[in-house]
Amino acid sequence: MTSYGGYQRTGYGAQGGEDGGGYMVGSQQASQGQGEKKYANESLRPITIKQLVDCKEAYPGAELAVDGLPTTQVTLVGQVRAINPQAVNVTYRIDDGTGMIDVKKWIDADKADATPRFALDTYVRVYGRLTTYNGRKHVGAHYIRAIEDFNEVNYHLLEATYVHLSLTRAAGGGEHQQQGQLGAADGGDSMFVDDGYGAGGGGADSQAIRVRLEPCSRNANTIYRYLATSAGDAQHLAQVAAGTGMSARDIMAATEELLGQGLIYTTENDETWAILDL
Amino acid sequence: MEAVANPRITCAYLNQYVGKNVIIVGKVMQLRGDEALIDADGSITAHLNREAHLSAGNGVQLIGKVNPDLSIKVLSSMDLGTGVDYDLANTVVEVSQQHRSLFAYD
Repeated sequence: MTSYGGYQRTGYGAQGGEDGGGYMVGSQQASQGQGEKKYANESLRPITIKQLVDCKEAYPGAELAVDGLPTTQVTLVGQVRAINPQAVNVTYRIDDGTGMIDVKKWIDADKADATPRFALDTYVRVYGRLTTYNGRKHVGAHYIRAIEDFNEVNYHLLEATYVHLSLTRAAGGGEHQQQGQLGAADGGDSMFVDDGYGAGGGGADSQAIRVRLEPCSRNANTIYRYLATSAGDAQHLAQVAAGTGMSARDIMAATEELLGQGLIYTTENDETWAILDL
Repeated sequence: MEAVANPRITCAYLNQYVGKNVIIVGKVMQLRGDEALIDADGSITAHLNREAHLSAGNGVQLIGKVNPDLSIKVLSSMDLGTGVDYDLANTVVEVSQQHRSLFAYD
């Protein structure tokens, strides 16, 4: 299989410039998959700088991977925190609130004056290539422009999250499973309420709890379910937010309902709750 | 390359970030000398630095430290004009709390 894969690749030799480096892990895969992967590598990916800070090579010499997917072409937004002009390039230190990374814009000798410079603290959009040099990651910029509309910054952060989720969930990644469990808990809840009437209830909840949960909103039910199934006695707002995927505002409103029903109580502070045993 | 994050937060998350640097995007409601009242899904008091140039009614991005009384000691501020979508900014805060692997170092 290995030798066959190798043979296939030499067949495509014309594009093999980057393939030159000896034994590749990928060569054990079918050659078709290899082709697709190469293509995927070159697609432009919106990312947060933290993803770049965190990303690692699968093995020394391999391409950097984000969410397990080799990533080279990236787009990011951030504020310029430092500018370091050198003879052949300008290095900008870019900060998007999740981390910092150096972005190098090479100066075109023919039109050196045409290279725009960006003032400190301006928000910029960068399109570039993720590279490592001497173990340091940086982005070699193809293009940098100033951001005119601030909403583009927020848009980008959501887009980066969206792409991360569609890649990790499609592949059945960790977050997907977590969400799945939550969904299952949710489904279990509604099923339980249904056969609560038919089968006279066989679940853990007592009649008293069910009566009190009934008038509460769906959000309140989700949170109660989360508190009931989570490890530990009390859960903080941040944990509830992460566990249920609800916004802080919705959680505050829903916990207010549950407090009113006497189903939960606040512990250390107003944003930490625990189930009140009946 | 640095692993230093200034998390984006709204009013509701202030007390989790006391003593830490944060980013707040909101609307300037009131200016009183070197103090400003910012609406970011709730009112936040900001103690401005000398370089701050805010105008009431405009959007603003503040980077600053959360004081124990949940006010903000502003380190840098940036006027964002009038076209800021605050619902979008608040949504980004919620999303960044839910998908911390992309935004925060725990």
